[in-house]
Parts: sequence; C-alpha cells; structure tokens
Amino acid sequence: MAITRRQFLKRSSTAAAGGLLAPSLLGNGWMQQAFADTIGDRYFVVLFLDGGNDGLNTVSPIDDGGGLLRTAYDGWRNTGVGGINLAPGVLSPQAIGADPGTGAQLGLHPGLSDLKTLYDLGKVAVVQGCGYPDFSLSHDDSRRAWRTASPGGTSSTGWMGRYLAANYVGTDIPAAGISNGVPGEFVQSATSVLTVRRVRDFRFPYDTSFRSDIDLKRATFNDLHEAARAGGQPSVLTHIGNAGTATLLSTEAYPALHDTYQLDRPTWDQAYSDNNSSTSNDLREIAKIIYGVESGVPNVNARFFQVRNGGYDTHSDQGGADPDGSHFNLHQEVGRALKLFYDDLADMGAIDKVCVMLFSEFGRRIPQNDNGTDHGSQGPMFVIGGNVVGGTYGNHPNIEESALDRSGNTVYSQDGADAFRSTDFRDVYGTILKHWLNMPHGQIVTDVLPLDTGDPAEWWTAENFDMGFLP
Amino acid sequence: MGDANSQLTPADTRHLLKRTGFGLSKRDRRTAARNRKSRGALVDKLLRARPKSPRFKGDSFSDAQDAWLVHLSKTKAVLPEKLVLFWHDHFSTGIDVVGRTGLMTQQNQLLHAFAKGNFKEFVLAMNRNPAMMEFLDTVRNRKENPNENYPRELCELFTLGVKDLLGQPNYTQDDIVQIARAFTGWRYSAPERRDERIYERSEAYFDEGRHDFSADFPERGPKTIFTSTGGFGAGGAAFDANGEGPDEIDTVVDILFAHRDSEGMNTIARRTAYRLLEYFAHPEPSLAVVDEVVATSNFDTNWNIQALLRAIFTHDAFYVTAEAAPFNPSTIKSVKWPIDLVIGTVRALGMKLKVDRERGLRIEGGGRSRIRSHLEEMGQELMNPPSVFGWDWEVAWLSSATLLARFVFARDIGAARGRGRNTFLPKKVLSLRLTEPDAIVDAVLEVLGLSDQLSGAERALLTDYLTDGGTLTSIDLKDDDTHDERLHGLFALALQTPAYQLH
Repeated sequence: MAITRRQFLKRSSTAAAGGLLAPSLLGNGWMQQAFADTIGDRYFVVLFLDGGNDGLNTVSPIDDGGGLLRTAYDGWRNTGVGGINLAPGVLSPQAIGADPGTGAQLGLHPGLSDLKTLYDLGKVAVVQGCGYPDFSLSHDDSRRAWRTASPGGTSSTGWMGRYLAANYVGTDIPAAGISNGVPGEFVQSATSVLTVRRVRDFRFPYDTSFRSDIDLKRATFNDLHEAARAGGQPSVLTHIGNAGTATLLSTEAYPALHDTYQLDRPTWDQAYSDNNSSTSNDLREIAKIIYGVESGVPNVNARFFQVRNGGYDTHSDQGGADPDGSHFNLHQEVGRALKLFYDDLADMGAIDKVCVMLFSEFGRRIPQNDNGTDHGSQGPMFVIGGNVVGGTYGNHPNIEESALDRSGNTVYSQDGADAFRSTDFRDVYGTILKHWLNMPHGQIVTDVLPLDTGDPAEWWTAENFDMGFLP
Repeated sequence: MGDANSQLTPADTRHLLKRTGFGLSKRDRRTAARNRKSRGALVDKLLRARPKSPRFKGDSFSDAQDAWLVHLSKTKAVLPEKLVLFWHDHFSTGIDVVGRTGLMTQQNQLLHAFAKGNFKEFVLAMNRNPAMMEFLDTVRNRKENPNENYPRELCELFTLGVKDLLGQPNYTQDDIVQIARAFTGWRYSAPERRDERIYERSEAYFDEGRHDFSADFPERGPKTIFTSTGGFGAGGAAFDANGEGPDEIDTVVDILFAHRDSEGMNTIARRTAYRLLEYFAHPEPSLAVVDEVVATSNFDTNWNIQALLRAIFTHDAFYVTAEAAPFNPSTIKSVKWPIDLVIGTVRALGMKLKVDRERGLRIEGGGRSRIRSHLEEMGQELMNPPSVFGWDWEVAWLSSATLLARFVFARDIGAARGRGRNTFLPKKVLSLRLTEPDAIVDAVLEVLGLSDQLSGAERALLTDYLTDGGTLTSIDLKDDDTHDERLHGLFALALQTPAYQLH
C-alpha cells in the first residue's frame, strides 16, 4: 500500500529545519508537489453561487413529457408584470435533453447560452434535484450543511478540508480561495489554504524607504511565525504561524504569475477583461495559477480552488427571460466566465485535467411571490470539465401541488421507487472524490462523508459514488 | 471564585481596560498600575461612559465611514463604541442594499442610543428603522405576497437564533410565514434633507391599505405563532392579541421576548448573553456562565444591557484570555477584529487622525492606502458587512489575504515618518533617551499591550532585529537613521507578531 504524503513526512526528519529563509529552496518542507496517488496532475474548482439559486428557472421543463412538469410550472411561475415564467419558446434553443424521470424536455435558462454551448460539446453534467434530508431554509444553516457535508451540523471542517487534511500537511499549500476568507469547503487545521484576491497584489509589504535591513526583517518575521507554529501553542497561534509563513512564501512566488500570464497570453487576458465581471476576473486568477503550475513555476502548487458569485437571493425583482433581469444577469455572468475559462484552459492544453463544480445552498420556492422567490429546497448542480461525461443526471423534482410541502417547497426523497428521487449532494461530492481525486471509496465514507442513519427512504443511508459523470 | 467584590491585579486591570476599549493608552497603563478599585467598582466607572454618535459630515458614504473612524480614534467613551460595533455586526445592515448614506448614519445613531440600554426597546426600534426596512425588504412587504426576509432574520439572527444553545429548533417555517403578515404595510417617509447630505431623518409609518388583515386572507389561518416551540403550549401565542394593524409587530416582539428554549429558560436572554460573552470574553462560553450572568443581572426580566455587561465584566470567565505567555495548547485567546486592530494601534501610538480634504483619511508618510481601505482588505468595511450575518469572527478573520492586509497596515504605520497629523512619532510614546536594547523592546511592547504576551524567545528575536543580529550593544535613538530605520522597523515588526493579532 503506497504510503500517504502525511505518513512520509511524519517519518522523515523535521521539515522545519533549514532553508526557510531562501525562497528558492525546494526539498523537504514547504511547497511540495502533490503526490500522484491523490489529485496527481489535475485541478478542482468549486464555484459557489451564493444566496440560493432558483433551480426551477435554471433547468426548466419545456413540455410535460410523460408527466405534468410544464403544466405545474405554468401554474407557479406567472407571466405578466413581476412574472418570472420562462416560455417554452425561450427554453427550446437551450434544450439539454429529456428528464430521466418524466421524459419532459428540459432547457437551461436563456442567460446560460454559453453553458449550453459547452453542454453541446458533452462537457457539462447537469445534476438535478440535489439536496439533503430535513433541509433548512436558513442561508447560514444550509451553507454550512453543503460546505461541511454535515447536514446535522455536527462537523466544523469543510468536506474538501477533510480531503486536504488526509493528504497534505501544514507546510503544504495545496489550495487557494479567490477571496478574503478561507472558503468553508476548505476549512481544516492540518494544511494551508491560501486566500488571495489578485495574485499581482499579493506582495509582501516591505518598507522601501530603508532597504538595507529587509533581509533581517524578513528573517525576524519568518522566525516569529515559526515560533508560533512550533508545538505547544494554542491552535489559534499555530494557525497564525502556518498562515503567516504560507503568506510570506506565497507573496514571493505568486505575483510573478500575473506578469507571466499577461506576457504569454495577452489575448486571453484581454478577453477576461472584456467580460467585465467579478466571476471572470476571479476565474482569471485561477487561470494564472494553473498556468504557473503547468509551466513548472517553483513554489506554486495549488490545485484546489474556490470562487464565489453572490446575489442569488432573489426575493424580489428576480426577472425571467428579460436580459435586464437580475437572475438573467447572474446566469450570463457565470456562463460567459466559465466558457472563457474553459477555452483558455483548453488552449493551454490543460482542460482535460480540470473539473469545475457548481452548487448553491438551496433552490427557491416553487410558487413565486410578487416578483421573486423565497428560499427553497433542492436545486441543480453542474460539473464541467474536459473529462466530464456530459448529460443530465438525477431527476427533476416533483413540482405538482400535491407533491410540495406546506411552504411550497419540493420534498427530499431517497426512495428508490420514486420517479422524482432526489440526488443527495454528498453523492455528487463522493463521485468527484472517488473518480477525480482518486480517494478510495471506503476512505471517503470513513474520513470525509459519513452516512446518515434512519429510514432509507428519507435519509442518505446508501451512497452512490459512481454517478457516472466522471469516468 | 471571583466576583464583583474581587480585587483586580494590575494584569487583570490592564485586561479589563484593553477589552472594554481599544488597546491601552498611557493613562490606562497608569490606572492599571495604581488601581485599588474592586472589579465591580471599576466596571461601574467604565459603564458610566455615555454613548456619543460621530459627527457625520461631508456628502458621501466614504465621508461617513471616515467620520466614524476619526470619532473612534479620539473618543473618551470607548466602551460604548465597542458596543456599537458589536450591535453593528449583530443588526447587520449594509450600504450596498440600503443605498443611501443618510439612512446608514441614522441607523448608526440608533445603535448609539441603545448600545447599553434596554434590549427589548432596541428591537422594537429596529423593527421601524428605515435602513433595516430597506435592507431586509420590509418596504417591499405586501399583503398579497408577504415577504419573509426580515421576519426570518429577526428570529434567526437578531433574537432567538435558529436553534437554542442545546441544539433544539426555536421556530418553524410556519412561524416565519405568520410573522411576515405582521410586517405587511410598513413603509418609511421620504427623507427630510438637511444641508449635509449624509443626514436623513426618515420615519417609519403604517399603511393600512397594504396590511394583511385576517378578514381579507382567511385562508392564511389565525395570527398565531409558536405552537410547537417556545413554551406557549399547543395554542401558541396570538400576535393580534392587542388588535390587528400596527400593534402586531410590537406584539410579535413581546412574544419573542417571552419565548423559552427546550430547557424552559428564556431564549433571547441566553442567546444575547452568549453573543456578548463571545465578543468580550472568549469563543464558546459555557452554558453555565451564560446562565450565571443572566441570573446575576436579571437580564431576562429587565433586558438591561448595562446590567448584563456588569455581570459579564465581573465574572471570572471574562478574565480567562488574560493569560500571560508562555502559552500552552489549552490557553484560550480571542482574535482582534480589524477595527480593534486599527483603532487600537492608532490610539496606542498617540496618533491624531484628521480627514484631509483632498487625500481623505490616510496615515501620512506611510503607504498609499486610506485607512478604510486597509480595513476593507482585512475583511471589515464599516457600514457594509458581507451579508446580514455580519462578519465571521475569530480565526475566520485570519486568512492569508487578510493577514497580509494586517501586515501591510503594520508596514504603513512603521513607514509613517512625517510631521503633523496622521503620522507616527515614536517620541510621543516612549523616551528617546533609552539606549539599552532590552529596555527599548520592553517599552515598545508595553505601548502595544504586548508586555506579557510574548515568550522570551520571541522577545529575543525582536531584540536581535534591533541590535542588527547582536552587533550593537547600545542604541542611539536620537540618531536619525537609527530612529527612522531601526525604531520604526521595530514597531512594525511588533505589530506583525502573531500575538498582536490577538486580545
């Protein structure tokens, strides 16, 4: 059995000795490359749609097929002023095929035309009806459920964090969030997650009026943080020690990635700028880092990324097919950014090594309110990448009146006989962990995604980590 | 076990003054050394400080932010300001959604008015606060389709919490749906503009025509909430008990404040005490301590925030994070909020802040950034929290990006070598006649409240820097180069120590 990275470093002599002062030093210690038996030469990106994306208006029924999805849809989503109904005529150009459960033709929201292009290439997996048992309508609770993969709320580590903790140690920097705070998905205390908004600005602040003592300042700073992460300290100090040192070393390696990318890939760089959106700008930062890793830049080894687009909490003024509407704009921003990112990485020859997963903390209420929707339950996830087996997975939730709960939300079900059976989001995570990140099936269940207990029709008691959207 | 009558050691006094203020001023350090008052007596003195709102002037949102920052940097009533920041996070409201600066400054004044007052009156007032009404859609709440946004956050964030402290749910979706009906029809009047555009005096009013009356919507059932939680019995509590119409939102508050958790204890009292303990004492306070401070202060009957604070500041749990270095894995420390770090540093270093007409509010001679930009990079933009959940505390403040921002701020302070305002003059806070390296390091650490927070090894590292790796045995702080390079550099490094990021 191949030993894990962590076991290897525990057995080898302390990684802290020597070489931390010299940024170019490799060897034992910081910034090691990932071992091939984990993610290998691949990348994984999480894109969080923050606020609760209206799933029913993202993947929508065009007709009834063998059921009543479209009829029900027309009963819940109004036309006219404040209405957010997406007409069949608007959805047909965005068709993605039939719903496995009812046979209804499905289409993507008109704002997602770029995503549809990728879908037609076979590179997008649309996973319907994703949720969890006993779902919460609270943003905070539900976000936590998705990020910790612990709907009961018993875990404080992120699901990807548990994966990272099992495979990396404190001196590694395997992940980067394009944000100010460590993304909830990555939270853990075993290894370092970089947070950086723009790699170009990620420089260490030295007092440039007096340069003669910069080396001594750097050494002092470094040693202070090493002392904090030495053994026997409260965890918050260890955290600062690790984060401070990771920050120092990354500030010495990451900014150059911006210049290199601009120099080598100017038309792509301009294309992101032309999109003029935060999602495009954030994905560009990831592209810069991936380009650096692909080019073998020393001390740059991040392969896991997280990025977020906000604004999905469309209680009011949601808009339907109108290109001025907020939901339309959100979808267009993300679709456009993803398509460019995809093309950029394909041009680098790296797209087959990249997998992007989209999720939101819940879908929205099936009946609309005045001109928007309140919080809801299950919603679609998307998995995109060069190696993804495109198609539509999972079932569209049942939106007929008799099937909704008293609030007007679709209901979570794991009943195998149910044509509208939900997809537990942990099955999507598990499939990615198993088929993309090479984690052994058994280890996923013990270390990352423990099963629920309870009635198998209502709880996630039987995992499916072979959903099929990754080979 | 200590209590209000306990004597305060100098270390505990320093801790009390630090946590209830922003760092330690020279006067604070003198007080700490000489104090003979008991816990209760000194706490009472601190609690007598009266909240005073910033003088908001100018005409833009950033002017309002800067005005608040200047106010924080020089006010003598520090404890009320610490409270206002807590309430700003608690009743989180942001300009991005609210849109108008005048509404934000008006809310700021409300936060000052109730900072250490009656919490129930506070919530009653917040229901009608125009900025909040914008932020959480009360102004868009119509009887045809009651909007759940504010009712949900009122229950989830401002009062009960989703679950009680034992993990049991406090309310159901049905409760939110019903409470949403109470808030239908509330609007606020168009603002009365004064000459300065950042002051507004909007007022909430009730529009009967937009309100959900039972007679018009019988299918929505009785205006009753908490039939399965809260201790009101299977019949629940009726929020139209004092009549339908504008009184409903007040009755809802009455009911919320009578809500009991799964152990039969007052839910709001426990949760509010828990949050204030987290803020002033340390993360994850125990339920026992929560109940003790509620009982001592009778907060669950009088809702008096000042009394609750007295109970907290005289409780042993408050002094837990005062532990001196060296630490061990079980030592509990709390992370400074960015605003704590920035204002605490500015005050400790005797810096006087003033807004420059052209250049805004910056540290002169330092970097290029405005102070509010530093705060934004650290993750805390005043009057614009990331969401209705406010900010995430403790370790969540410390990622590589936000730590880097703290390091940049430290560099800017160190590099501020000017004359006049908004600059840093070491001679204001320590004697330039000191020549002994250890004494100089000690003096710097004392100014920054780090005297007992660094281990011997860490202090040696700072001394090593000052003495250029041990080559200098005596330091001449009157020499310009030594002063500008070494002394300023020493301050910047001290600000970048891991311990300085913590209380």
